[in-house]
Amino acid sequence: MKRWLVNIWESVSTLLIGMGITWRHLRRIRKGNVTLQYPEETWPRPERLIGFDHQHYNVIRSRLHVDIDDCIGCLKCERACPVSCIKIETVKAPKEVDLGLTSHDTKKRLLVKRFDIDMSECMYCNLCTYPCPEECIYMTGGPNSHKHPIDYEFSEYDRNNLIYRFAALSDEEVEQRLRVPAPPVTNEASHD
Amino acid sequence: MGIVHGEEMVLNIGPQHPSTHGVLRLHVQTDGEVVSHIEPVIGYLHRCFEKHCEHLTYEQVIPYTDRCDYIASMNNNFGYVVAMEEFLGIQVPERVEYIRVIMAELNRIASHLIALGTYGLDVGAFTPFLYMFRDRERILDLFELTCGARLLYNYMWVGGLSHDLPVGFVDACYRFLDDFEPNLKEYHDLLMYNKIFIERTADVGVLPAEVAIQYGVTGPNLRGSGVQWDLRKNEPYSIYDRFDFDIPVGTGQMGSVGDCWDRYWVRAQEMAESVKIIRQALQDLPAEGNVHEALPRKVRAPKGSIYKRTESPRGDLGYYIISDGKGTPFRVKMRSPAFTALSVLSEIASGWMISDVIAILGSLDIVLGEIDR
Amino acid sequence: MTVDQIIRWFQSLSGSGEQAWMFLAAVVITGLPLFLVLATNAIVAVYVERKVSAFMQDRIGPMGQGAGFHAGKWGLLQTVADALKLLLKEDVIPSAADRKLFVLAPYIIFLAPFLAIAAIPFNQVLQVSDLNIGVFYVLAMGSFGVIGLILAGWASDNKWSLYGAMRSAAQIVSYEIPAGLSIIAVVMLVGSLNLQQIIEFQTGTRWGFLPNWVVFHNPFSFLAFFIYFISSVAEVNRTPFDIPEAESELVAGFHTEYSGMRWALFFLSEYANMLIVTAVAVIVFLGGWTSPIPGLFATAGWGLFWFLFKIGILILVMMWFRWTFPRLRVDQLMHVCWKVFIPLAMLNIFGVGVWALGVG
Repeated sequence: MKRWLVNIWESVSTLLIGMGITWRHLRRIRKGNVTLQYPEETWPRPERLIGFDHQHYNVIRSRLHVDIDDCIGCLKCERACPVSCIKIETVKAPKEVDLGLTSHDTKKRLLVKRFDIDMSECMYCNLCTYPCPEECIYMTGGPNSHKHPIDYEFSEYDRNNLIYRFAALSDEEVEQRLRVPAPPVTNEASHD
Repeated sequence: MGIVHGEEMVLNIGPQHPSTHGVLRLHVQTDGEVVSHIEPVIGYLHRCFEKHCEHLTYEQVIPYTDRCDYIASMNNNFGYVVAMEEFLGIQVPERVEYIRVIMAELNRIASHLIALGTYGLDVGAFTPFLYMFRDRERILDLFELTCGARLLYNYMWVGGLSHDLPVGFVDACYRFLDDFEPNLKEYHDLLMYNKIFIERTADVGVLPAEVAIQYGVTGPNLRGSGVQWDLRKNEPYSIYDRFDFDIPVGTGQMGSVGDCWDRYWVRAQEMAESVKIIRQALQDLPAEGNVHEALPRKVRAPKGSIYKRTESPRGDLGYYIISDGKGTPFRVKMRSPAFTALSVLSEIASGWMISDVIAILGSLDIVLGEIDR
Repeated sequence: MTVDQIIRWFQSLSGSGEQAWMFLAAVVITGLPLFLVLATNAIVAVYVERKVSAFMQDRIGPMGQGAGFHAGKWGLLQTVADALKLLLKEDVIPSAADRKLFVLAPYIIFLAPFLAIAAIPFNQVLQVSDLNIGVFYVLAMGSFGVIGLILAGWASDNKWSLYGAMRSAAQIVSYEIPAGLSIIAVVMLVGSLNLQQIIEFQTGTRWGFLPNWVVFHNPFSFLAFFIYFISSVAEVNRTPFDIPEAESELVAGFHTEYSGMRWALFFLSEYANMLIVTAVAVIVFLGGWTSPIPGLFATAGWGLFWFLFKIGILILVMMWFRWTFPRLRVDQLMHVCWKVFIPLAMLNIFGVGVWALGVG
C-alpha cells in the first residue's frame, strides 16, 4: 500500500516537473527559437578566420572549383581523389609553344585538354585541394570567397549537369593551341 | 482449461521502420505482444569499406572511416590515425594531441546526444529529442568552424590535422560548454527521472556483466552492466592519461544493474565527464605548434601489421591494418563496437514485449553504418 | 434549439401534425452545423497542436513569411493546405485488404463523436437533443468508435494494424471503466443524468468566491475530475497512452495502410473525440457554460464562449501532455487502469457519497 502511494506520488511529481520544463520552453519561445525560415534566412556563415599561418587552406566543403588558367596538369588532385571523380587529360606541348604562366609564375608545359569533376560522386573529403602546387583547385568559399560565394545548393535536374567540365577542348582547338608558331622570317632566306 | 496458446506470428521490424536506427531488419517471432525469438538481419548498408581500403592509399582511407560511424566521425578518424601513427612510429606535436582530444570528446557528446535523443523517441518522448538536436547542432557548428564539414570531417590525418583551430574556437567552445551543462540537467529532469521513462526502462533488457563480456559488448553498454572498462583509462592512448575524469558505471539505481535505464544513465554521465575533459584540454592547450609539422610526405607503412583500439562513443573501436610494404594497405579490418552490441540483442530481448524490444534496441545505441560497413 | 423545437416550429408554420419531412429537415438543419463544428475543431486543433508542439520544442512551426504566399500569415493556412493535399492524394487500398470493411471503418470511427456531440449543450439553448440520459448517451456513443478501430486494424491485413487494433480495443474498453465510475460519483451528487440539469446544479457560488463547480465541491470530486481527465486522454489514444498508434513501435498502428482522405477521417475523428471527452469533462466537472466569475458574463452568448474556452484549455493540456511524456507500455497501461484508477474511482464514489450525506 505504501509502495502504491509512493509510486503515485513519484509519477505525479516527476511528470509535473517535465511539464514545467516544456511550459518554460513554450513561454520563452521568442528567446529560445532555433528555427531558420530557410529560403528567406540562411544558415549563418561562421567567421572563417583561420589562425596562424594556414590562411591558404580552404575551410569549407561546398562545391569544387578549378581555376583552369592556373592548372599545370600535374594530375596530383586526380591521384588524391579517393573516389576518382576527377578526370584529367593533358597533351604535352612542344618546346616551342608558350602556354603562358600561372599566377604562381610557373611555366605551363602541359595543355589540359579535359578537366572533369563529377560532383555527384564527390565525397567532399577535400583531399584533392591540398596537394595542388598552384592552389588552383579548391572548394568554393573560404579564402577564395571573394571569387565564389558559398553555395550549398547546387542541385540539378539532370545528373549530367553535375559533371563540371572545367576544360573541354576539342581536337581542333588542341591542335590550334599547340601549333608550333611559324618560324620567324630570317635573313638567311633572303640571302639564298 | 489450459493456457490458451495462439499461433506464433513472424513480424518483420524493418528494414523500413521508424525506430531501427538505420536499415536494420529484426526477424521477430511473437506470441501476441510477447517476443519469443528475435534475430537481427544486417547487411542493408554494406558499402565494402574493408575491401575499398585495399585499393586506397593510407590517407585516402580516412574519409571512408568517417562514413562507418557517421554519428561519431571524429572518433573513427581518431582510431585510424592513432593506429597508423603507432605503426609508422610518428610522434605528433602536443597541440595536435590536445586538439584531437577536444574534437573527439565534443563528438562523443554529439553522439551521445543522438543516442539519448533517439532513445527517448523510441519510448515516445519527442521533445527531448529536439532539445538534444539543438545542442548537437552547436557542436556541429564548432566542427564546421574548424574544418568546414558538419558531419564527415576527414579532419585527423596521419601525423597531424587538416586544419589548425580557427581564431575564436576556444571561446566558442567555452561558451558552448557553459550553455550545455545546465541543459544537461534539464534533459535529466525531462526524461531520465520521468516516472514513465523509468517504468519503461528500469529492469527491462537486463544485460548481465558475464553475458556482456562473453559477447564482447563494450563501451557504455558494458559500463551500464557495472564493468569498469574504458580504454581511455585502462589502455590510455593519445594523451588521455593526463586528464582527470571518472568512468561512470551502472549501479542499478532504478532497477537492476545492466538494465536499459542504466545504459541511459551511463551515457548521460559520460557527457558530463566529456565536458570535464574538454575543459581541461582547453585549459592546457599549447598556444604554439604547427599541426602539419609531423605529417609524412607520403604514408608508406612497413611490412607488418598492427591492431589498435580506441574508445569510440560506442565502445572499443579497433583497426587491424596489415601492410605488405606497398602504398596501399593489404588488409584493413575494423572491429565495430555496435556490431557486438547488436549481437547481444537476441539474448537480452527475447521474452520481452515488442515495445520493450524497441526500447532495448534504442538503449544499445547501434549505428548501422558501422555494423554493415 | 433542439430538434423538437425545430419540428414544433415547422408544425406551427405548416399548421399540420408531425411529418417525416419535418424530422428530416430538422436533423439536417442541426446536423450540418455540428459537422462544421467538428471539422473546424479539427482544423483549428491541428494548427494549435503544431504551434504548441513547436513552441515547446524551441521551434516556431509552420510560418508564411517572406516572398510568396506560403502558408499564410503565421502559417494559418497550413491545415487548409494539408486538407487540400489529402483530398487530392491517391486513395490506396491494399490488394489483400477486406475492401468493404476497409472503406467502412473510417466512417464508423467518425460517426461516434458525431453522434455524441448531438447531446452536448453548447450553452443554455444551443443543444441538438436534450436527452434525459445525456451523460450515459455521450459516453456510450463516444466509445463505440472502437469498433471502427478494430475494423480498420483487421481489414487492413497488416500486422502493425492488427496490433494497433488489439491494443486500442483493450485500452479503450478498460479506460471506459474509471471514466464512467468517476462520472457516477458526480451523477450521485447531482441526482440526474441530464446534461443541462448537471450544469444548472453547478450555477451559483461555493464558499462565497469559488464557482459552484463539481471540481470544487469536495476533495473526492476534485480527484474524480483528474481520474476522468486522464482516463479520457487514454480513451482518445493520446500520449502517454498512444500505444495503438505508437509511432516508434507500430509504425502508425491501426491506420498504417490508410492514405488520403480516409486517413484524414481518422485524424478528424481523433480531434473530434478530444472535443467530446473534454466537453464531457467541462460539463460534468467544470460547470459547462457557467461563468468562472459567478454572476458575471452569464448570458447565453458568454455561455458559449465559456464552454468553448474551458474545452480549449483542456485540449491544450492534452497537447501539453503529448509533447512532454514518453509512452507507456501496454501492460503498464493496464496496470495503471486496473490497479490505480479503478480502486481510486471506487473510493471516490464512496467518498462522494459519505461527503454528500455528512457535510452536505
